[in-house]
Amino acid sequence: MTRPLEGVRILDFTHVLAGPYATRILADMGADVVKVNSVERVTTNSPDSPYYIMWNRNKRALSLDMRNTQGRALCRRLCDSADVMIENFAVGVLDRWGIGYRNVSATNNKVVYVQMSGMGSGGPWSSYVTYAPTIHAISGLTLLTSVPGREDIGIGYSYNDHQAGLHAAFAILAALEARRHTGRGQQIDLSQFEVGVNFLGPSLLDWFANQRAARPVGNRLPYDAAAPHGVYPCVAQGQGIVGERWIAIACRTDQQWRALRGVMGDPEWARDVALEAATGRVAAIDVLDAKIAEWTSTQSASDLMMRCQAAGVPAGAVQDGVDLTERDPQHQASGFFSPIDEAGSPLGQTFADHLPIHFEKTPCEQYQRSRTLGEDNVGVLRDWLGMTEADVRRGEDVGVLR
Amino acid sequence: MAAGPLSGVRLLDLTDERAIYGAKLLADLGADVVRPEPPEGDALRKRGPHHAQNGESLWFAYFGSSRRFLRTDVNNASEVAQLQQLLERADIVITCDGGFAVDLLDVQGARQHRPGLVHIAVSSFGDSGPWKDFQAPDLIAGALGGAVAATGVPETTPLKTFGELNFMVSGTYAAIAALSALYYARATGEGQRVSVPVHECITSCLEQVLMMSWYGEKMGRGRILPRQGGTHWSMAFTVMPAKSGAIMTTPMPDFDAQLAWLVEEDAHQDLLEEKYHDPANLPMYIGRMMQVMREWVAGQDPEELFLKAQERHAPYGWVLPIERLADNPQLAAREWFVPFQVGDTTLQGPGAPFRFSETPWQYRPPEAITADMVVSELGWETSR
Repeated sequence: MTRPLEGVRILDFTHVLAGPYATRILADMGADVVKVNSVERVTTNSPDSPYYIMWNRNKRALSLDMRNTQGRALCRRLCDSADVMIENFAVGVLDRWGIGYRNVSATNNKVVYVQMSGMGSGGPWSSYVTYAPTIHAISGLTLLTSVPGREDIGIGYSYNDHQAGLHAAFAILAALEARRHTGRGQQIDLSQFEVGVNFLGPSLLDWFANQRAARPVGNRLPYDAAAPHGVYPCVAQGQGIVGERWIAIACRTDQQWRALRGVMGDPEWARDVALEAATGRVAAIDVLDAKIAEWTSTQSASDLMMRCQAAGVPAGAVQDGVDLTERDPQHQASGFFSPIDEAGSPLGQTFADHLPIHFEKTPCEQYQRSRTLGEDNVGVLRDWLGMTEADVRRGEDVGVLR
Repeated sequence: MAAGPLSGVRLLDLTDERAIYGAKLLADLGADVVRPEPPEGDALRKRGPHHAQNGESLWFAYFGSSRRFLRTDVNNASEVAQLQQLLERADIVITCDGGFAVDLLDVQGARQHRPGLVHIAVSSFGDSGPWKDFQAPDLIAGALGGAVAATGVPETTPLKTFGELNFMVSGTYAAIAALSALYYARATGEGQRVSVPVHECITSCLEQVLMMSWYGEKMGRGRILPRQGGTHWSMAFTVMPAKSGAIMTTPMPDFDAQLAWLVEEDAHQDLLEEKYHDPANLPMYIGRMMQVMREWVAGQDPEELFLKAQERHAPYGWVLPIERLADNPQLAAREWFVPFQVGDTTLQGPGAPFRFSETPWQYRPPEAITADMVVSELGWETSR
């Protein structure tokens, strides 16, 4: 074994982001992830699209026609060889294909079977259709990631999709550990809604304990006395909103505040004794923020970050995507991004952001491009079912495989 | 009740905010997680919110669920030695650099006794690099990691996500790292050190941000998108103000069904015009559709509209405040909330993020223990 999950066989029926992100992580760590594209799904998630490429590296691609009886029978045989099956179809689709959990576990009781639905199995909302923005809205994340008085901001990317994927990957690994003792797999019902609501745990407890309903606080901390704790403008480095430069500063101790005063040149307004303790700074936070913003707006974000950090003030430039991929010296030093060997992608050169888990003995440094539809039909069916290439080609000729 | 899937896995939790969520995930699935804390109490017990009556930290009640807490005086050599003994009997130790007792323990030495010991070393920026020693609480980690720039609207500064969402990503990654390395250790008998940099974790969970930087120009969009609040990068999902509150609306995944609905309600304006139905004009069609929907939504009750939309299989999302989660019918039907023990009181609290059919997730109340108890009564002396 050169990577930690080598030998784990995963049949992946997921699409869009949450499910593919789960299996991407497991594939990065060496699991044999076979992404099953049914011909019915091709148009919704083209393997050429940048979005697909982002989440489907390191997997093998098998294309089956699940409308076809023989296609479904072949799929059923693959299910018997799988350690893990994972899907995020609407409720009932895999049952109709004869590969629901009850059916598969009757002949493969070792299978770990994950259903990543929006709302979980059962309950009045169980058939609701969701994407990450839906989940953000109904789980409270949209309302709370905002400034006071606005309910229409929310998180600017599909946070909960990534997290649902991470939680699915984690749950799969936990079920594999359980299987080591029990000899049996099991079914995992992952509700993306419940994953999202769970993130507001302390606020939910606050509601039940104190009947206090959390409300948005911008960049401040909702419950702890910390000031300054915000994002402040710096000298712009381009036109318009994308040219804006910002710095985040988070003083959580009085010592950090004193250090920040030093970086600011100890201006008179900051020497006010009322500001020495966190409670005083929180009481004056609007004035404090305005003064700091006035000062930072004359500074370069990256230089100021370096000076703050050197003085012991937690501070960070607000980095956009190009900062991350081209300028971030930490990502550069760790080699966090790398080009992927391509076979004629319409996008030209493609890239990988690496697995953020660095194993000392089993490094996971292989990043294979995402595969086109059915590209691994031969390899997968040979490895999993012992089929010959001729058998596979025959299947392709009659349309069982694509 | 059956034991959780990680029943019998022994774990030493030396995390701070950056990975305590990962230790929680492992503990709630049945791992025996011991968390040492100084005699004056875990620093994280100061995190708010607090229970108004008994003063207990609700933050800590949530993140510290299902643990056994071990008071350890780091100035007492025998207590430090006991901690080292626990380490020598653990399957996994998760540390955050600079965390309580981390520098006093000899993980390499422990591996002499327990070769399968897995060490998950969480740090803000990894083991080396120019920012290695930067201090990065959640706001700073989110700023440097790329999350802050993507959130907010032009009228606001870039925004942090609420609470500890960045560190919940690194926490989950730490838990995944722990179980992956455990899987390898089970197969080979070999433990290992695994580094999990928070900075990389955050950058890897930004949906469109890296994609646009690499392929945005080829997609005709530019490499950096302006922060645009509740509007998804695809422009097809937007949070819109309603009669009261707000609702996330979208014509996805079936534009024709959404158009038919607008026509039914005589709210379609010019959307039937031919120009919108030429595939080459799709971006213009989406833009106009969202504009028309915004006007249509403005006068409606968000709850009613949400329920009507979902009846039509349209993935709208009512922007819910936390108090409406507490009485949410879906969570109630799935009996999602569980009793949490907070000091001397029991409260409703958040339940499982996933359900295992055979080895269920289970919240366990906090328990204070001694090192002797761990070794003599809890079975850590025997090898698994």
